Amino acid sequence: MTDARTLAYINMYAVLGTLENLCELDDKAKEIISTLENPVSLAFDVKDGPSATLTFSKNGCRMEDGVNSKCDIKIPVSSCDKFNKIIDGVVTPIPTKGLTKINFLLKTFTALTDRLTEVMRPSAEALKDPDFFRLNTLCTFYTVSVAISQIGNQDAIGKFSASNIVDGDIQIGIKDTVYATIRVKNNRLITIKQASPKPRAIMEFCDIPLANALFAGTVNSIDHVGNGNITIRGLISMVDNVNRILDRVALYLA
Amino acid sequence: MSKFPLYNTTKSREMFDRATKVIPSGIYGHLGPAEGQWIPVNRWPSFSEKAQGSYFWDVDGNRYIDYMCAYGPNVLGYNDPDVDAAALKQLKLGNCTTAPAKVMVECAETLVDTVASADWAFFCKNGSDTTTLATMAARAHTHKKKIIFLKYYYHGDFPWAQKIDYPGITPEDVANNIICPWFDLDALQKAYDDNNGDIAGLIAQPYDHGNFKDNEVASKEYWQSVRKWCDDHGVVLIIDDVRAGFRLDLAGSDHYYGFKADLICFCKALANGYNMSALCGGEHMKATVSGITYTGSYWLSGVPFAACVACINKMKALDTPTMFRRLGTMVTEGFKKAGAEHGFDLKVSGEPALFYLRIANDDNLMLHQEWVAECVNRGLFITSHHNHFINASLTEDDIKLSIDIAEDAFAAVAKNHPELKG
Repeated sequence: MTDARTLAYINMYAVLGTLENLCELDDKAKEIISTLENPVSLAFDVKDGPSATLTFSKNGCRMEDGVNSKCDIKIPVSSCDKFNKIIDGVVTPIPTKGLTKINFLLKTFTALTDRLTEVMRPSAEALKDPDFFRLNTLCTFYTVSVAISQIGNQDAIGKFSASNIVDGDIQIGIKDTVYATIRVKNNRLITIKQASPKPRAIMEFCDIPLANALFAGTVNSIDHVGNGNITIRGLISMVDNVNRILDRVALYLA
Repeated sequence: MSKFPLYNTTKSREMFDRATKVIPSGIYGHLGPAEGQWIPVNRWPSFSEKAQGSYFWDVDGNRYIDYMCAYGPNVLGYNDPDVDAAALKQLKLGNCTTAPAKVMVECAETLVDTVASADWAFFCKNGSDTTTLATMAARAHTHKKKIIFLKYYYHGDFPWAQKIDYPGITPEDVANNIICPWFDLDALQKAYDDNNGDIAGLIAQPYDHGNFKDNEVASKEYWQSVRKWCDDHGVVLIIDDVRAGFRLDLAGSDHYYGFKADLICFCKALANGYNMSALCGGEHMKATVSGITYTGSYWLSGVPFAACVACINKMKALDTPTMFRRLGTMVTEGFKKAGAEHGFDLKVSGEPALFYLRIANDDNLMLHQEWVAECVNRGLFITSHHNHFINASLTEDDIKLSIDIAEDAFAAVAKNHPELKG
C-alpha cells in the first residue's frame, strides 16, 4: 500500500530534488540551463502537502524547502494527488505568478524534466553506455537517499521503522564515488547529499554496478552483506531500519 | 607481536560462496553473516568441521572457544557423553514412531518436577512453536484478542512475532500486538484502557536481553507487580524463557525472579542441542491447551526427549546456574580488566550466565566491532550485538585462554587507534 501524500513528498524532494544533481552531473542538462541569462526560481505549493522552490541558473540548480516569496513562478496545486499527476505528466501545471516567465516553464523546465525522466527511466539499450549507466546510478542514488527520509517521515509503515532509529547520522554510499547522510533526530529523518562527519552507522556498496542492481531490485542486499560487497558498520539497528524503509522506496518509485 | 596469529579463513569463504549458489543468502538467520554481524565478513568462520566441549573447529581447521554456544543450545558442552549416550540408546529403540516413545512421559514428568510453575509440558521443536502456542492459549483462555509485548522483544520469527515493516509481513499479521516499554506499569494500564480491556496476554522475556543494546536485568519487585497486574486484569502472563531458560535457575527464570508465570516457553538449553522445545504451564491452563489444534511431524520424536531427561538431570547434578554465574563473572571481569589496560571501557550488562558486552569509548559500536573481529579472528568466538552464553564444559583454563586472546585483541585495536591514548 502506498499513499498519495507520501508520494507527493517523494516527487517533490526526491524526484524534483534530483534536478540539482542532474544539472551538476549531466552534460545535456548543463547545456539546457546554459541558455539562462538570469536565475529563475520556480515554487510548487501543494495544499496539505510539500512545498519547495527550485532555483535554476546557468551554474546549476538548487532546491530550498518552502515557497520563497521572491520566486519568479509560483504553481499552487490543490492536492497531493494532483501534484503526483503533474509529475506523471498527465496534468498540466498552471502558475498563478510569473506568467511572463512561462517560456521558462514550457521550454527549459520541461526539457530538464524530460531529461530527468530519460535518465531515471532508461531503456536497456541506453544503459549499455558506461557513462550513461554511471549517470543513471548516481541520480538514482540521490533520489533513493532523499526518498528514504520522506518515507520515514510520511508513510505509516515507514514511520514505524523511523520510530526505531536512534538519533545520529547513517551514512550510505558507493565506495569512493558518492555519499549521502540520513540524519535522524527524534525519529525525524533528513537527507544531506554528502558524507557524514561523524556517522553512527555506515552502509557502503562496493561499486556502481552493485548499487545499480540493488536500486533496480535485481539483487538482494542481504546476499551482498554476506559476500562482503556491502559493508555495514556501527549501530547496525540503524542500518537495519533504513533498509526496511529502503524496501518501501521501490514500492513508491516503481 | 601478536601472541595469537590471525586465522586464515579461505576455505570458509569458499564454502560460503558454494552455499550461496544453492541456499538463499548462504547462511540465513542468526548464524549467518547479516544477522550474525560478521563485521567484516572475511574475519569470520562460515561453516564448522567439528565441535567438542566449549570449542568448535571451522573448515580451515581453526579452533574457536565458543561463547555463543550455537546461540544457546550448547549448555553442557558439545558432544556431552551422558546426553549423547541417552540419545543414542533411544535412537536404537525408536525415534519418530506412530505411537510416541514412552520417554515422552518421562520427559514431561522431569520438567514438571524441575520447573516451579509447571504442572504439564507440551512439546514442539523450536522456540517459535512454543511462543505461538502460548499466545493461542492466552486467547483461547480469555476469549480476548490483543497481546502486550515489551520493547526490544524477540519471540521468534513467525509472522505474528515480527514487525509491521519486515518483508513479507502484513499489517493484519501484527494488528493485535501492543508494544509497551519495560519497567513501566502505567504503560500496561494505559494499553489495557486504550484497548477496552481486550488483552489476552502479556509475553515477555524474564529480563530485557534485547540485541544491540545494554541488557537490563529485572527486579523481583518488578515482576511481582506485573504478576499482580495480570491477575487483577485477567491477563495471561507468558514468560519466553527460550533464551535464558535453565541458565539462571533450573526451576525457571520466573522462579529466579520470584513469581509464577501462567505459561513458560523453553527451547535452547532443554536438550543440549537435540531439537525440541516445550511449553509448560499451571494446572489452570491445561484444559485450554488440551483443546488447541497444534502438532508437527517430528514434535513427539523420542530421541530429543531422552536427551532432555539426561540434560536436565546432569544440569541438576552440576548445579549449572551457580556454575554459570561464577564462570560468567570470572570471564567478564577478566575481559574488563584486559580492556582497561589498553584504555578501553568495556561495559558488561545482563545476567553473568548470558553476559552482554559493549566497548563504550565511542557511541557507535565501531570500536567494539573491531575488537570482536580481532577476537574472532584469533579464536575467541563472541559477538558484537547479542548476549553470550556460558556452558558447563567451560574450564578456568578456557577462561584464562579467552582473556589472553581478548587482551591480544584489545592491543591490536589500540594500536590501530592511537587517538585513544590521549
